[in-house]
Amino acid sequence: PSDHQSPPTQSPNPHTLSLPTSKPQTPTRTGVRRRTSPPAAAMPPPLQAHRMLLSHRRASPIPRRRFTAVSSLSSAPAKTLAPGPPASSILSIRESLLSGERTAADITSEYLSRLRRTEPSLRSFIHVAAAAAEREAEELDRRIASGGRDAVGPLAGVLVGVKDNLCTASMPSTGGSRILDGFQPAYDATAVRRLREAGAIVVGKTNLDEFGMGSTTEGSGFQVTTNPWDDSRVPGGSSGGSASAVSARQCVVSLGSDTGGSVRQPASFCGVVGLKPTYGRVSRFGLMAYASSLDVVGCFGSSVFDTATILSVIAGHDKMDSTSSSHDVPDYRSDLASLSLLESKPLNNVRIGIIQETLGEGVDAGVISSIRSAASHLEQLGSVVEEVSMPSFSLGLPAYYILASSEASSNLSRYDGIRYGQQVSADDLNEMYGDSRANGLGHEVKMRILMGTYALSAGYYDAYYKRAQQVRTLVKKSFEEALGKYDILISPAAPSAAYKIGEKTNDPLAMYAGDIMTVNVNMAGLPALVVPCGFVEGGSAGLPVGLQMIGSPFSEGKLLRVGHIFEQTLPDLSFVPPLLADD
Amino acid sequence: STRWSLLRRRPLSSSPNAAPTVGPGPLEPPDLPRLANSARISLSPQEAEEFAPKIQQVVDWFGQLQAVDLESIEPSLRADTAAGSSLREDKAEPFANRDAIIEALPSYDDPYIKVPNALTKE
Repeated sequence: PSDHQSPPTQSPNPHTLSLPTSKPQTPTRTGVRRRTSPPAAAMPPPLQAHRMLLSHRRASPIPRRRFTAVSSLSSAPAKTLAPGPPASSILSIRESLLSGERTAADITSEYLSRLRRTEPSLRSFIHVAAAAAEREAEELDRRIASGGRDAVGPLAGVLVGVKDNLCTASMPSTGGSRILDGFQPAYDATAVRRLREAGAIVVGKTNLDEFGMGSTTEGSGFQVTTNPWDDSRVPGGSSGGSASAVSARQCVVSLGSDTGGSVRQPASFCGVVGLKPTYGRVSRFGLMAYASSLDVVGCFGSSVFDTATILSVIAGHDKMDSTSSSHDVPDYRSDLASLSLLESKPLNNVRIGIIQETLGEGVDAGVISSIRSAASHLEQLGSVVEEVSMPSFSLGLPAYYILASSEASSNLSRYDGIRYGQQVSADDLNEMYGDSRANGLGHEVKMRILMGTYALSAGYYDAYYKRAQQVRTLVKKSFEEALGKYDILISPAAPSAAYKIGEKTNDPLAMYAGDIMTVNVNMAGLPALVVPCGFVEGGSAGLPVGLQMIGSPFSEGKLLRVGHIFEQTLPDLSFVPPLLADD
Repeated sequence: STRWSLLRRRPLSSSPNAAPTVGPGPLEPPDLPRLANSARISLSPQEAEEFAPKIQQVVDWFGQLQAVDLESIEPSLRADTAAGSSLREDKAEPFANRDAIIEALPSYDDPYIKVPNALTKE
């Protein structure tokens, strides 16, 4: 049941959020079909809500609709649909703590036990800080006992996974690379520090493709993460561990990074919400740089509301990042109304453009079908959806790889074995650099450094880097024009659902081709939100597909509002993976 | 087996006749040993053999940008979403956790970070 209260007043300091007091609401939608609503007075903690959902599924074996052609979708108006929308885990935890119904130690213990049970198969985490998490939870319980309400910050007791390319003091941070094996940073990344200040508990560091370079976590120097929906498939990447950890409820929310789609594509593959903020919205201080003009810190949640909560905490200017923006940080949750408060056409007057070039050749039929169903659903909510063409779309991919490789070749020159990480001894300095890097850096990373070195070689600037920057201008203008006509643009986040582990490892171009839906957004610096919207065949219960929504700079509020309404009214779909069925 | 890149001391600037023109025209293909030297990565001959065709393939793919008419398009350095530069005061502040920095150093001999000989005979 969704129980989001009506909007709170905007907090003056975005980093000490005043949270809404969420009174449980009696569901007002009619025709509740398969799901027993919990008693209105009690707000079940997130796991129990899932249990009810799942046990009820076992009792009434109506096959869950996977992808459906538009014509077979129910055309009932939004208010009589009976969905199983995700509740906010963050609000559930908050209420449990405030009411005394549960302790932080108990909640932490539940998540840790689920984490331990699923990790052998998933391998989402490079490092788990169980003891520290338990200690922090106990401390929080003590503070609540003595200080009451005041001790419960906006993210108190919320377990967070942090992608291992974000620095965490007192916890190893490898960037997914052997060259940083054993490295412990001297400081927290700003995004991590802000989460901690809000009361979040960092449960561990999640797996990624080395330094963010890759789309599957097969490029990690440590392990391959599997998809919670099918353990023979990839979770996506490079923030694969962060996506799978949230999908499998090993933690409540997680941080990732997105340079060419690294939050959005794994969100789509794992059936979770993923947000790529506007370039400059969130400080990059403490994010191990891959491509400085493209990198952003992003986040994952099991609901749009939770994702919006995280963004509110981590966004904002930071003097330690000269590319961070002073643009105002609103409370991103304030526009996320409860389902029962929505009018029947909540997206009236919203104009949506569906990007033509993302629905053609090379895109899985099942994905296209899911996106078209999503578009139809958005129309039923009152919006106008039209196809729009973005002419420079396909040029973006080679341009992106030129820019990213070039910037990476410069950014990764700091990994030289001298000041941190693994050092290979040698008789002279150049040999030490060469051997330390050869030994510590992985295959894909070496490839991209070499490609970048080539593109930036003296005499080649005009041919490659400059041309890529010119394509960047074309891409920006193309988006500006389209976003002048439409409030948001939509597309898939990837041309397919999750593919098999090992399927693309030997063909770099095949791997890169999968980024076509996402890279242009990074080049233009725009915000984008991915919300699960459907399924394709595969695995034991289908494979998730995500809908990507793109907006103008700093329009995260609009994206989250549309995403929230979309999610809360989505018919009959649950994005809890089958491996949690026995919980 | 010999580590190629670091034993060959080639000048890093390209020779004059390698300068490409804008628009289609032959660009010198990647010279892997030279690139590996610039990037300070010791490539084994086996790795170089593995990498060369893949890198060539990607570089050829990059080449499709050559065919596009980009006359009069300004190059964009960045997305320009963070309007205006944001510089902090140019004032030195001691970092609060120097100990952790020193802790992370692979070869430290207080107060020196130790490295091997930086000068080699040509």
